[in-house]
Amino acid sequence: MPSVCFYFEVHQPYRLKPYGALQVGRDHDYFDEKLNAEVLRKVANTCYLPANEAMLRMIERTDGRFRASYALTGVVIEQMKLYAPEVLDSFVRLAKTGSVELIAETYYHTLAALYDKDEYRDQIEMEMKLIESEFGQVPRVFRNTELIYNDEIGQLIADEGFNAMIIEGADDVLDWRSPNFVYRVAGRDMKLLVKNYKLSDDIAFRFSNKDWSDYPLTAEKFAGWIHGRSGAGDVVNLFMDYETFGEHQWKETGIFDFLEQLPDLLFTHPQWDILTPSQVVDRYPALGELPCQRTVSWADEARDVSAWQGNAMQQRALAEIYSLGSAVRRRNNSHLLALWRRLQTSDHFYYMATKSNFDAAVHDYFSPYEGPYDAFIHYMNVMKDLNLSVLATAEKQIQL
Amino acid sequence: MKILMLGWEYPPHISGGLGTACEGLTTALAERDIEIDFLVPRLFGEEDAPHMQILGAASAEPIAETPTPTPARTQGQGPPSAPDPLSQLVAAEPALATDPIFTAAAQAAGAEVAATGKTGLNTIRVPAMLKPYLDQKTYKELIASGALDKTAMARILAAEISHPLPGPPGQMTGLEHAHVPGADFTYSDPSSGGAHYGDDLFSEVARYAMSATRRVQGRQYDLVHAHDWMTFPAGVEIARRAGAPLLVHVHSLEYDRAGHGADRNIVSVEHQGLEAATRVIAVSYYTRNLINQVHGTPLDKISVVHNGVYTRETVEAYTEQRSSKGPVVLFLGRVTFQKGPEYFVQAAARVLEHVPDAVFVMAGSGDMLPRMKAMVEELGITKSFRFPGFVRGAELERTFSTADVYVMPSVSEPFGIAPLEAMSYDRPVIVSKQSGVSEVLRNALKVDFWDVDKMASQIVALLELPELRGVIVERAREEIRHIHWDAAAETLIPVYQSILRG
Repeated sequence: MPSVCFYFEVHQPYRLKPYGALQVGRDHDYFDEKLNAEVLRKVANTCYLPANEAMLRMIERTDGRFRASYALTGVVIEQMKLYAPEVLDSFVRLAKTGSVELIAETYYHTLAALYDKDEYRDQIEMEMKLIESEFGQVPRVFRNTELIYNDEIGQLIADEGFNAMIIEGADDVLDWRSPNFVYRVAGRDMKLLVKNYKLSDDIAFRFSNKDWSDYPLTAEKFAGWIHGRSGAGDVVNLFMDYETFGEHQWKETGIFDFLEQLPDLLFTHPQWDILTPSQVVDRYPALGELPCQRTVSWADEARDVSAWQGNAMQQRALAEIYSLGSAVRRRNNSHLLALWRRLQTSDHFYYMATKSNFDAAVHDYFSPYEGPYDAFIHYMNVMKDLNLSVLATAEKQIQL
Repeated sequence: MKILMLGWEYPPHISGGLGTACEGLTTALAERDIEIDFLVPRLFGEEDAPHMQILGAASAEPIAETPTPTPARTQGQGPPSAPDPLSQLVAAEPALATDPIFTAAAQAAGAEVAATGKTGLNTIRVPAMLKPYLDQKTYKELIASGALDKTAMARILAAEISHPLPGPPGQMTGLEHAHVPGADFTYSDPSSGGAHYGDDLFSEVARYAMSATRRVQGRQYDLVHAHDWMTFPAGVEIARRAGAPLLVHVHSLEYDRAGHGADRNIVSVEHQGLEAATRVIAVSYYTRNLINQVHGTPLDKISVVHNGVYTRETVEAYTEQRSSKGPVVLFLGRVTFQKGPEYFVQAAARVLEHVPDAVFVMAGSGDMLPRMKAMVEELGITKSFRFPGFVRGAELERTFSTADVYVMPSVSEPFGIAPLEAMSYDRPVIVSKQSGVSEVLRNALKVDFWDVDKMASQIVALLELPELRGVIVERAREEIRHIHWDAAAETLIPVYQSILRG
């Protein structure tokens, strides 16, 4: 009996304010509180609240047979508490239905998996505690920031005790394999749920694209495509940003109608059901190992890490932030530690990307700045102030 | 398709970017089988335009002639009675000696003096006028400051303005459809003093309109394409008489050059052309919006055709030759209101607090130069500033090549070609958002001209972060290869076609 598995990513970074060179040494307030509040409230109204209501309705209407899973970063939960607490309440309601599973990621949406393993583990642990305290669930499945994955990361997550990890179904990694089966991390007994990027991106990216040959995408058409996979796999993993609903694809595109019609249409085929990731793990065996030597992600056409470390500016900024790790930890100052961690959020580096064509359009869409150069300038000025003012001052205090 | 293009100048004798733009555009159009008659006030004989027929309005000959031998114009051949006002002027403001506009004016004046002595007033030997870019304020301020007495100045200027068109003055009332406010035909005696440069420019514009009309009488064109306000009256007159559609091409507005100090007569000529035109071309969306705001021309009547550049090999070297120890930040352009030099100075003062050894080079001349020098002194940053005056040729190359950052803080820049030139030297550039070129550039830093804090921050970042410089320069090198005149022609031809379809 084949299944569909929905997983939605919920994340908003603490964006830096435009921080000029003249502010260095004078201004230790780095984040654009006004903008961050605005974005969170806007996305709450366009996406989180209406989409959660739709999910609740779908769960009720199907007696809990519609299921979904979410990862909420620690930083988005913090910002919900600050700027729109009703959003967090609505996620808690969803979690209590029994049809919604919370999965784990890093608290700060960090790239530490590639730079600082201890930091990486700390942030996973922080996130686990937060999810348990907010939602009363202990996640069994993990997703890394932007689905960044390689064998080493998979093995580390397996050693942390997770049952499964969610990864991108990049063509070259899958090779001859289908994404519609469960696999196993190379050398470990942990399962991998592989994103079906074709079907996921049909919704997330192409839904309202009038140049697309399959436009308009109706729920009937999409359910038909899923049913067409009968007998050719165990599970179709539809993984995407939650903001797809109402924010990336506006309400006017009909995305909510599409979403609400989809479960009933999927259930018209008696064999198909909808599961959460843990249910998938429990039901389906791993077909075999899925080795992954290169580092993959779900970003850009390259589906690699070039979205965050593709140019010299990004590499410099990343080198700067991670070089501060031991100095920051030595201070034993929770405020400073949180500050350093907020600056690790992958979005900062994503804004500095100098990609072209379609990738550039996506990066521009997300960036709060006028372009990659401004993003780099703001970030490096903040790093300079952090070094000069904050860290140097803390050093003095310790010496006293 | 056969079109008549009305220009004001053509390389190599140019005073601003207009001639260069016309050369690039016509070359690309001709490659696409557009037949062009290009009319300028006069030819110098050195124009190299095999791709089209280039015509001097004042001439009876259809193509570029061999240069007429220019009468010698050594100082000795000038009127013996005249004290040398030129030397006086240069003594008062040394930067003028290297100012191309000024030297062109001075040479023209000299030529006229010589010509008057030899052959009377029948020979037209100077450009119809010293151009849209000639800054009247420079001269007015020099008079006001007492650096030069009025009659000496008048003599210089009168020399330029005393060229009547061939034919008796009576024929000068020949414009039926165009009106040129401020055109004054009453002066005829250059020695009478009281010459007003502005009046003269309008007279030249009117004269160009009349001679151009006569010059193309009887020729058939599908379309008349006029470049900037000086050619608009000619365009209006010719298009009306021939019953051809008129397209006016705005490379800059009087508002760009003078802001709220705009000359209302020039604005009026602009307006007349914009009203009479079937279609308007703007060199940028910035200019398109400005035309709409200043003249009320409906936006859907204005199409945007961005300028191109001639690509060339990027220039290495020179960097070892720099004379200063600290990093160099460059302003290069006319030191006038339009170019925003004071914002560069203000940003410099802020940068120096963070990068004390930075050196700021303000290359160029113009009416605001003395004020900029005074401002630098008031801010106490004289030691960090260089004012080399107008640079050209090898010195220009060296200036670009030894700069670490190029800044164009223009207050209002319809397009702005200089940043592209800096980029061709692998220099990172900062351009004001009030410029057309900022619309076509991704790999430049952009700033509002008045936001000197941000400008300073961008300069500091470019000086302190090699990764920023590296990424910008590398990507800009690729980017400028795509900003070429072929793209401009590809955009323009469909506009032509849509006009012809009605």
